[in-house]
Amino acid sequence: MKNKRRFFFRLGAIVLLAAIAACMMVIGRGHTVYIDNKSLEYEGETYAPYYRATVYVNGERVSKLQPKERAGATNIGQSFSMTLELIKDKDGETETVDIALKLPYNMDGIIVNIPGYMAGLPQDAWMSEFVSTPTEAEMQDEEIPTEEEDVLAGAEF
Amino acid sequence: MKKDNKIFTFLRDNSVPIMFVIICAVCIPVSGFSYGYLLNEIVTRMGRNIFLILALLIPIMSGMGLNFGMTLGAMAGEIALILVSDWQIWGIPGVVLAMILSIPISILLGAFCGKILNMAKGREMITSYIISFFMNGIYQLVVLYMMGSIIPIKHFSVKLPRGYGIRNTVSLLNMRQCLDNLLAVRVDGVKIPVLTFLIIGVLCVFIVWFRKTKLGQDMRAVGQDMNVARDAGINVERTRIISIVMSTVLAGFGMVIYLQNMGNIATYSSHSQIGMFCIAALLVGGASVDKASIGNVFLGVILFHTMFIVAPKAGAQITGDSMIGEYFRVFVSYAVITVALIMYETKKRKHKSAAAQQLQAAQNEEAAK
Amino acid sequence: MNDTLDRTNQTLADRLREFAKSFGLPRLIIAGFLLLLFIAAPFVGADFWTQISNTINRFSWNAIMVLAMVPMIHSGCGLNFGLPLGIISGLLGATLSIEFGFTGPMSFLMAILIATPFAVILGTLYGWLLNKIKGGEMMIATYVGFSSVSFMCMMWLLLPYHSPTMVWGFAGKGLRTTISLEGFYDKVLAGFLQINIGNLSIPTGTLLFFAVLAFGMWAFLHTKTGTAMTAVGSNPTFARAAGVNVDKMRMLSVILSTWLAAIGILVYEQGFGFIQLYMAPFYMALPAVSAILIGGATVNKATIANVIIGTFLFQGIVTMTPTVMNNMIHMDMSEVIRVVASQGMILYALTRKTEATK
Repeated sequence: MKNKRRFFFRLGAIVLLAAIAACMMVIGRGHTVYIDNKSLEYEGETYAPYYRATVYVNGERVSKLQPKERAGATNIGQSFSMTLELIKDKDGETETVDIALKLPYNMDGIIVNIPGYMAGLPQDAWMSEFVSTPTEAEMQDEEIPTEEEDVLAGAEF
Repeated sequence: MKKDNKIFTFLRDNSVPIMFVIICAVCIPVSGFSYGYLLNEIVTRMGRNIFLILALLIPIMSGMGLNFGMTLGAMAGEIALILVSDWQIWGIPGVVLAMILSIPISILLGAFCGKILNMAKGREMITSYIISFFMNGIYQLVVLYMMGSIIPIKHFSVKLPRGYGIRNTVSLLNMRQCLDNLLAVRVDGVKIPVLTFLIIGVLCVFIVWFRKTKLGQDMRAVGQDMNVARDAGINVERTRIISIVMSTVLAGFGMVIYLQNMGNIATYSSHSQIGMFCIAALLVGGASVDKASIGNVFLGVILFHTMFIVAPKAGAQITGDSMIGEYFRVFVSYAVITVALIMYETKKRKHKSAAAQQLQAAQNEEAAK
Repeated sequence: MNDTLDRTNQTLADRLREFAKSFGLPRLIIAGFLLLLFIAAPFVGADFWTQISNTINRFSWNAIMVLAMVPMIHSGCGLNFGLPLGIISGLLGATLSIEFGFTGPMSFLMAILIATPFAVILGTLYGWLLNKIKGGEMMIATYVGFSSVSFMCMMWLLLPYHSPTMVWGFAGKGLRTTISLEGFYDKVLAGFLQINIGNLSIPTGTLLFFAVLAFGMWAFLHTKTGTAMTAVGSNPTFARAAGVNVDKMRMLSVILSTWLAAIGILVYEQGFGFIQLYMAPFYMALPAVSAILIGGATVNKATIANVIIGTFLFQGIVTMTPTVMNNMIHMDMSEVIRVVASQGMILYALTRKTEATK
C-alpha cells in the first residue's frame, strides 16, 4: 500500500517535471527577428520600400530604417509584436501600425519584409528564414585543451 | 585561567577563518581596490557560488566527507545547458529547462558514484576524487564524440565544424544573468541579485528542514557510526547513495546558476576545478571534513572570494609579477584543503586512541575488582 | 582425492575464468586491447618497429617513477599520490645543477647528487606527516602533492636563478616553463650503447639504469630491513609485536619513494629533452599510479614485475592509441581511452577489499 502510494507520488513528480519542461520548451524558444525595409518582388509585382520606417519593440526604439536597411530584435516565445512608424514618401504622412506575428517554432532567425507585409501579401511572401553563414574563424576546428592545461582554468571561479 | 583557555580553544577551532581574515586584511589595502568594487564582486560571487557549495553539505552529514564527486553534478548541468542552448531556449525558461534536464543525468551519475563509494568505505574522498577524473573521460567521450554524431546537435555555434563534438566555449548570451537581473536591486551601486538569493534561501530552508526528517536523521546516524545505524535497522548503503544523489542533483542546479551568471560554458574545463574551489571555500568558512553548517558556507564564500579577488593584484603590487598572485591563490586553495584534511585525520586518530585508552582503563578496573 | 579429480575435470573455460579472476578483469581487458593495437598497427599503415621503439622509449622514461610506487605500497602507506613532491626535488636538482654551470653528462650526475638531499628532507617531512595520519594517507598525499607544486610555482618565479639558458630573456629572472636540455644531459642515458636496427631503436643506457635501480629495489626488499618493511605493510600489529619500529619503516619507505621520484623525473627529462616546470608535475602521479595497478599491483601489494608489466602496458596504450585510432576511424579518441583506462584502473583498485587493516 505504502509502496503503491510512493510509486504514484513519483510518477506524479516525473509527469509534473516533464510538463514544466515541455512548457519551457515552448515559451522559452528564442528567435531573432530581422525587419527589412527592402523592395520585394512577388508574382511579377514590385513593392517599394518606405522612405523611413521606425521600429519599436516593447516600447523601445530598435532602429530607424532607410530603404534597403535591416533591423534586428530578439524575442522569447512565438508571439512577437512591434510598432512601426512608416513614412511612404519624402513628404508623406506618418502612419503608425501595430503588428503582431506568430513566429514559426523551428526557425531561429526570421526575416520580415515590411513592404510585403503592409501590402497584405500571403505570409510566405514576406516571411523567410534567415540562414547565417558561419565566419571563417568559426569554420576552423579548435584545439581541445588537455588535462594539464586545465589546472589554472578554474582561476575564473 | 579558564577564560584564557576559552580564547585559546576559540582560536584553535577557527584557525583557518582567522588566518583568512588576516590574509584579506593585509591584501585588501595593498591591492588598492575600492570597497564599492569589492563589495559588488563579492555579492556577485555569492550569488554565483553559494548554491554549488551548499550541495556539499549533505554528504558531510552522512559521514562521506568532502564530495569531490560534485564535479559529476557540474557535468550534468553543463550537458543540460549545451542541449538547451542548441535548442535555442532562452532566458529563464532556458534555465528552468536546463535544471530539469540535469536531474536525470545527475541521478544516474550520482547513483553510480554512490555505488562505487559503498564499495570503497573508509576511502570515500580519494575514490570520489578519482571518480571525477574517470567521469571526465566519459564526459569527453559524450561531448566530444557522441554529441552531433549520436545525440543530435544542429546549431553551428555549438557544434564543431567537423560535424561532431562541442566547441571549446558555448555562449549562453541569451540567458546570461537572467536570474540575477530579474528582481535585481541596486543599493549604492551594488547590484543585489535578489532572485538568486531567494533560491539560495529556499535551499537553506530545505536543508534545515531536511535535517529533521526521517531520512535526514538516518543520514546523521549513518554518519555517526555505520554499524550502529545498521543495527538500528537503517539501510546504510541506500542512505549513502541517496545522500550522494541529492548532492549531485543540487550540484547540477548549482552549476546551471553558476554558468548563467558567467554567460558562457568552457565546455572542457568549467567543471574540472569547480569541486576543488567549492571545497576550499567551504573549509575556509571553518567547516571540517565531518562537520559543516550553512554559516560556514556563507562565511567561506565571503572570505575565500575576497582573497581570490585581491590576491593577484596584491601579489603584483608586492612582487611586481602578476603571476605570483595567481599562483598564490591556487596554492592557498590547495593548502587549505590539505590542512583541513590533516586536522580531520589527526582528530580522528586522537579520538580513536582516547577510546582505546578508555577501554583499557575500564578493563584494568575490571581486572582490579 | 575428490579435489584432485575436480581439478582435472576443470574445463578450459573454468580455467580461463580462474585466470581472469586472479589476473583481474580490467587488467585483462587492457592487455587484450594493447595486443589488438599491436596486431592492428601494420594493417592501418603504422610501422610496427617504430611503434615498438616508441613504446620502449616511453617505457624507459617513465619506469622509475612507477618503481617509486613500490616502497610505499610495501610499507602499507598505499599508493603514493604525493609523487609530485619527489618530482619537485628532482626539478630542484636539475635546475640547480644547470645554475651552477655543469654541462654534459656531469650535469646529470650533479642533478642527482643535488636532488638527493632535497628528496631526503622533503621525504622525511612527508613521512612524518603520513605517520601522523595513518589511514588517510592517499587523500592527504594527493593534496600534499598539489600544494607543493603550486607553492613551487611561486618559487620558480622568485628564487634567484640567473643562468641565461633557464630564465626569461626579457625579464632576466623567473624560470621558463620549459627549459631545453641541449648541451646538458639531453639523451645522456638513452644515447649510451643505443641500438639502432632499421626503424627499431632501443635506449639501452636508460633501460640499464632502470634495471640497476629495479634490481637494487628487489635486493633491498629481500634484506632484513626490506622484509621488516613488508611486514609493517601486511600486518602492522604483528610487526610491532616483533619489535619493528613501524613509524621508522614507514618513514624510510616514504623517503625512498620520494628519492626514486626525483631520480625518475631526471631520467624522464633526459629522454624527453626538456625540463618542464610550474604546473607540469601536477598530475604526474596519476599515470604512475595507474601504471603499477595495470601491472597487477594492489593498494597493498606490489612487485618489480608489476612495475615492468604495468609501465609497458600503460605506455604502450599511450603511444599506440593515437596513431592506430587516427588511422583506423579518423577520430583521435586516444585521450578519452587513456583517461578512462587509467582512472578506471585506479577506481577498480580502490574498490577492492584489502586484507590488511590499518
